[in-house]
Amino acid sequence: MSIVHTESLTKVYGDVSQPIPAVRDVNLTVEEGEFLAIMGPSGSGKSTLLYMLGGLDKPTSGKVWLRDSELSALNDDALSRMRRTEFGFVFQFFNLIPVLTAQENVAIPLILDGVPRARALKQADDALARVGLADRTMHRPTELSGGQQQRVALARALVTTPAVILADEPTGNLDSRSSDDVVQMLRRAVDEWKQTLVLVTHDSRVAAFADRIIFLKDGKIVDDNRLKGRGNADQIREQLSKMVLS
Amino acid sequence: MTAQSSNFGSTVWQMTLMGLRYLNGRRLRTALTTVAIVFGVAMIFAINLALPSMQEAFQQTITSFTGADLSVTSVSGESFPPAAVLEQISSVDQVKAVTGILHRQFSLPTLGESSLGDTTQIDLVGVDPASMENVHQFVISDGRFLEPGDSGKAVLPAGIAELAPQLGVGTTFPLITAGGLKFYTVVGLLAEQGDLAAPEIYVSLADAQAAFNQPGLINTVEVLLEPGANREAAAADIQQAVGAGFTLDQGSNDSNTLAAMQVGFAMFDVLGMLALFLGAFLIFNTFRTVVVERRHDLGMLRAVGATRRQITLLIVIESLIQGLIGTAIGLLIGYLMAQGMISVINVYATDFFHRGSLSLQFSLSGLLGAAAIGLATALIAGYWPARAAGKTAPLEALRPATPANIQRAARWSLIVGIGIMLLAVLLLLTGNQGAAGGAVLFLMGMVVTAPALVIPVARLISPLLSFGFAREGDIARSNLVRQPGRAAITASTLMIGLATLVMIAAMVLSFASLINSLADVNFSSDLILLPQSIAVYDNVIGADENLANRVRALPEVQDVGTMRYASAATADGQALQVMGIDPNEYSKVASFTVNEGSPDAAFAALGSGRNALFTAIALSTVGLKVGDDFMLQTAEGPQTYHVAGIANDLFTFKIAAIFISQTNLAADFHKTEDIMLMINLAPDADKQAALVDIQTILTDYPQFTAHLTGEYRDELANVTSGALILMYGLAFLILIPAALGLLNTLTINVLERTREIGVVRAVGGSRTQVRRVVTAEALLLGIFGAAMGVLAGVAMSYGFIAAFGTVGWEMPYFFPVAGIIAAVIVGVLLALFAAVLPARNAARLDIIRALQYE
Ligand SMILES: Nc1ncnc2c1ncn2[C@@H]1O[C@H](COP(=O)(O)OP(=O)(O)O)[C@@H](O)[C@H]1O
Ligand SMILES: [Mg+2]
Repeated sequence: MSIVHTESLTKVYGDVSQPIPAVRDVNLTVEEGEFLAIMGPSGSGKSTLLYMLGGLDKPTSGKVWLRDSELSALNDDALSRMRRTEFGFVFQFFNLIPVLTAQENVAIPLILDGVPRARALKQADDALARVGLADRTMHRPTELSGGQQQRVALARALVTTPAVILADEPTGNLDSRSSDDVVQMLRRAVDEWKQTLVLVTHDSRVAAFADRIIFLKDGKIVDDNRLKGRGNADQIREQLSKMVLS
Repeated sequence: MTAQSSNFGSTVWQMTLMGLRYLNGRRLRTALTTVAIVFGVAMIFAINLALPSMQEAFQQTITSFTGADLSVTSVSGESFPPAAVLEQISSVDQVKAVTGILHRQFSLPTLGESSLGDTTQIDLVGVDPASMENVHQFVISDGRFLEPGDSGKAVLPAGIAELAPQLGVGTTFPLITAGGLKFYTVVGLLAEQGDLAAPEIYVSLADAQAAFNQPGLINTVEVLLEPGANREAAAADIQQAVGAGFTLDQGSNDSNTLAAMQVGFAMFDVLGMLALFLGAFLIFNTFRTVVVERRHDLGMLRAVGATRRQITLLIVIESLIQGLIGTAIGLLIGYLMAQGMISVINVYATDFFHRGSLSLQFSLSGLLGAAAIGLATALIAGYWPARAAGKTAPLEALRPATPANIQRAARWSLIVGIGIMLLAVLLLLTGNQGAAGGAVLFLMGMVVTAPALVIPVARLISPLLSFGFAREGDIARSNLVRQPGRAAITASTLMIGLATLVMIAAMVLSFASLINSLADVNFSSDLILLPQSIAVYDNVIGADENLANRVRALPEVQDVGTMRYASAATADGQALQVMGIDPNEYSKVASFTVNEGSPDAAFAALGSGRNALFTAIALSTVGLKVGDDFMLQTAEGPQTYHVAGIANDLFTFKIAAIFISQTNLAADFHKTEDIMLMINLAPDADKQAALVDIQTILTDYPQFTAHLTGEYRDELANVTSGALILMYGLAFLILIPAALGLLNTLTINVLERTREIGVVRAVGGSRTQVRRVVTAEALLLGIFGAAMGVLAGVAMSYGFIAAFGTVGWEMPYFFPVAGIIAAVIVGVLLALFAAVLPARNAARLDIIRALQYE
């Protein structure tokens, strides 16, 4: 069943005299329980597309649906509520609020939603335990490694059991070991906790964990592959480089 | 999951925690930002505490000490012949008994061992023992009460033992009187403790009349009603019987002194408000910085679902926390300041007013008022940056900072600002009370115009920098004009501080000139004999004519002029101090400053009829003009006086006082006591020898002190200049927030350009060059702020001085050249000082990390 759906999604930056099209006419459907990777060269519009899917950025034209809600029809408050209840985000940088503990960082979407603090913190503890950080709940972000920080961010995305988790290069800043940890955790989120996941990456080893990969070039979807079983990173890389050259 | 607005508290609590941690992470900045709030709240709270305490002390109503049912005094507060009034009151139904008393509260000079010990002031009460006993029975603990025919006998409250243990029945003690030092024998002690601030000492009516040189007069009638009488009805009947010249159960108060003090305190209030205004600017500026610095955090909060309102709330809570901290500390400091003020005033109180000691009274409304103002300042100043923070796009967390786009200075800010300033100048030029409003308006106009001025002014002054800074000056300029709003606020903060400095400098010049010209007229004699207090005379005991005569009889003395005093009221109850002079004698030893004509004409006017010279303040408080006739409540009932002119001198210019002739004072107020004597010596007389001779005479009149007039004037000038230095101190305090504003802006400018600085360093810019750019930026801001401050300071000083002038004081406006130079130097120094840290931080940036900084 489809959970996210776009129709002629387009984003143009700049002004009329110098338009910079970032995403062009994208029609995309994300199935419930799916692990979708978005790949493409730098500047191809991956982040822009992801942000529009999550209601972080407004399309220039076209529409995004989450189930039955069309995002551009929502006002800022409704969109904010959508972000804290229906979407979970993991980004490359600045995921965590430095003055909050890991536990509070995870609990923040719940607290912003008005969940009593004690209950929110309890749920945050559970989510942190799921990503293997049960013993780090009271640490501040600066006291955690890069990989641990990204796992806290993942816990924050999981804590609300959102409709979709959106991750923009979550491993882009990590060494390969931490990167593996985070990707495996993402895979578990889909397999064990039945989450839907859309992941932006330019790393084929990361993309190899996905169920489906779409390739973006100059803001357009140029390929859409469903992987059978575990993807082959080399194969994906080859496909990517072919695309860049073409 | 759904929004549970019912659990708003959870969100607020989390935000409070976050706010506290953010503030804690930036302790220095938090402390610095809070200072202005602390300062403003402290000033306002201190005034709110000190003023009511003073009011209380100065408005002690003289209540009935004898426990009578009612007491009747004259509206003027002066003495009157008893016969008719006692007769009128006794004839009222329900009145059982009446008695007339003459009393005055006054302060004691120190007379050594034989005096009243630690007692600093007493209430000398003259009673007629026979009729007194009908009104009130005293309970005696030792000895007896006064009996008819007693002379030189006194009855004291038992509590006096605490102050003067040596006093007991049979002992004698000296007391100052208008006729010289008199000795009284204690014949009895009252069982009651008495009011130890001013113990009542009972003597015979005749003794009191002699002590005050008011033979045959009383100033209060005590009334005992029939048992079960209706007090209200009886009071109404008595009022009817005695007429409008008398009042029931109402003591005198020193509204004049109080008014004079209020002027001084209003000054503090203005400074407190200015400090809070600056505090608001500072908080505003700091939180704008905070919002930029924290855009990642704020963006992330938005990305994970915070609404705009929640983000706004976060920043508002944070500014409220600062407001709370600042207010709490401010209240504490304010309390201590009030205590300090009271103790300073107590020092003066013993030296000048002889009021005994005031105690600080806590006032809840004062506390709440000051707290509310402090919190409101933080709230209002934090709200706008908070709203801007609410507009943070979620994406700001994820994208590197987009280069700050040059905001075009809003054209309307120029138009509106200049409009406001033109209006302000018009108000200033009217030269009346509106001028003060014009001064404030001008300042506001400058604040509004500032953003539009940043770019042109920066262009104008950056060539100045090219001497020391070469290329760095240009870079600094372009850095500054990228954020004209921020530069404008910073310069405005500095402007307010420097304008205050300029204003205070100008006011000091003006006041000094005013005081000087007033002192000229008061202190032209060779010697001056001063009472226990100058400025407040109703608790002074002067001297009868013997003192002046004895002084006059000294071979080296040529002229003696005296000042006398009475209290009075206008028809509508406005209190006036009445100063009595003999125009012929007084004109030889002192003078007035007059607004029109010559002092000679003024003296001539006092020579005949019921003419009065008004101080400027008196004329404006009673709303009369020269040439008017008016009704004065005197001890002889209402009398018509004529406003003959305006005259001021140093002793009276701050209060509502009038000058009349001593002849009229004696006739209408029954006062012949000299309270001040000015003496001119023969041309070849030895001043020191004369002083010694006079001091010998004064051993009989210890209530007076003799001074060489010139020396006394110098002494007074020292006290005055001490007060003026205090004013400068306050101006410098106000500059603290201005310096913080500069520091803030420079810090944020460096932060925002971290990456740029990295590039400059990477392509070969030296640390020195980076440091010089920041310093040049600070200098531009400093010069800009100083220029605005000078302009606003001149306008403000002109406006306030013009407004002061409208009360009738001759306050010349001096262009505050020294103040302007000081303001420019201080502004530039502050800027350089504020630049030290940010410049060093910028220079020390690690190139690699700066390049990676987002
Ligand atoms: N805020 C912006 N303003 C102007 N252009 C932008 C902005 N954000 C992204 N772009 C442009 O849009 C295009 C796509 O960017 P992005 O979605 O970040 O690509 P990717 O994530 O694939 O690297 C790029 O050309 C980028 O320069
Ligand atoms: Mg990207």
